[in-house]
Amino acid sequence: MNAWTVVLAAGFGSYLFRMSMIGAADRIRLPPRLDDSAALVAPAAFAALAVTSIAGSVLGSSMPQALAPLAAAVVAVLAVMRTGSSYAAVLAGMPTLWILTLHTSA
Amino acid sequence: MFPPSLPAVAPGELVNVKVPMKEPTIISFMTHRRDFVAGMRAMAPWLIGVAPFGLVIGVSAAQADIPTLAGWLTGPLIYAGSAQVATIQMLDAGAAPYAVIVTALVINLRLVLYSGAMATYWRGTPMWWRLLGGYLLIDPSFAVGVERYGQESDRRRGHAHYLGAAVVLWVTWIAVIAVGATAGAQLPQWLRLEFLIPLFLIGEIVPKLRQVATRRAVLVAAAVAVACLSVPMHLGIAIGIVAGIAAGVAAATGIGRPAASPDAVSTEEGHR
Repeated sequence: MNAWTVVLAAGFGSYLFRMSMIGAADRIRLPPRLDDSAALVAPAAFAALAVTSIAGSVLGSSMPQALAPLAAAVVAVLAVMRTGSSYAAVLAGMPTLWILTLHTSA
Repeated sequence: MFPPSLPAVAPGELVNVKVPMKEPTIISFMTHRRDFVAGMRAMAPWLIGVAPFGLVIGVSAAQADIPTLAGWLTGPLIYAGSAQVATIQMLDAGAAPYAVIVTALVINLRLVLYSGAMATYWRGTPMWWRLLGGYLLIDPSFAVGVERYGQESDRRRGHAHYLGAAVVLWVTWIAVIAVGATAGAQLPQWLRLEFLIPLFLIGEIVPKLRQVATRRAVLVAAAVAVACLSVPMHLGIAIGIVAGIAAGVAAATGIGRPAASPDAVSTEEGHR
C-alpha cells in the first residue's frame, strides 16, 4: 500500500464519518457525553502530534543540537502563555530554533 | 392500480394520506444570494486562523518523503487539518499504512458528532445536498453553520449561509495548501520548516489549557504519546489521543475526584 492508497483510504473513511449520521438523522440520537467528548478530540490530537514531532526532532539529533527543538518548544509555550496569541508560538519558536541550531552546530 | 400499502376506506370517509410531494428547490442562488454572501463573510475570521495552518501543511507535504501531489490531495480528500498533518508526518516517518489510516480516522472521529448535529437541520433535504454538505463539513463550517441554523427559522436561508461559508473555506484551504506545497519545495532545508507544525499545534493548544477537562486531555495525550514512542507503526499517537480524550471526559464528569461542593460544578477555571 503506497502513499496514494493511504490518502485515498483515509479520505474515504473521513467522508463516511461525515455522512454517517446525516443519512440516519431521523433514527439516531447521540448521548450527551459523546457530545462533550467531541470538544476534547482536537486538543488531545494536537498534543499527541506535537510531542511526537518534537520528540522525533530531539531524538534524531546528537546532544548539543537536540536542545534546539526542545528549547524552541518551551519558548513557544511561554510565548503563547504570555501573549495569549496562537501565532506567538511560531513567531517566537522558529527564531529560537534557528539561533540555537546555528549556535550549537558552530 | 393502487399500491398495496394504501388502506381500504369507505366512500366519503376522511383519510389523512401523505402524498409524496416534490421537494422545493433547496437553494435559489438568486433568492438566497445575500445569505450565501453573509456565510462567506462569517467565515472570514476563521480563514485568518486556518490559512497559516494550510500553508504549513503544504510546506510539509513538499518536504516530506512522499509525492507532493499526494500530500496536496490530503486537502480535497481528507479535508481536516490535524488528520492531514498526521497522515503526512506518519507517511514521511515510514509508518505502516494501516497505522496511518487508523490514526487519521481516530482524529476525524469528531466528524461523526458533527454529522449528528447537522443531521437535525438537514432532515428532508435531497441526497445531493447531504452529499455536498457532508463533504464540506469540518470544524469551521460546522461552527458557522450551526450558529446560523440556530437563529434562522427559514432552513433554506440557513442552507445558503452554510454553503457560502463552507465553499469559501474549501477554496481557501485547497489554495493555501497548493501555495505551501509549491513554495515549500524551493525553500532551503536549514529553515527546518517541518518544525512549524508542532509549533503551530502548540499555539492552538496552549490557549485552551484554562479548561480543566481540556488541560487533562492535553497532558495525558502528550504523556501517553511520549511513553508510547517505541510502540510500532506510530500507534502511540492514536493511543495518546484516546487516552487523552478518556482523561478529559473523566475530568469533566468528575470521575476520580473527590465529591465537589454543589456550587463547584463548572469545569471552567477563572479567566485571566
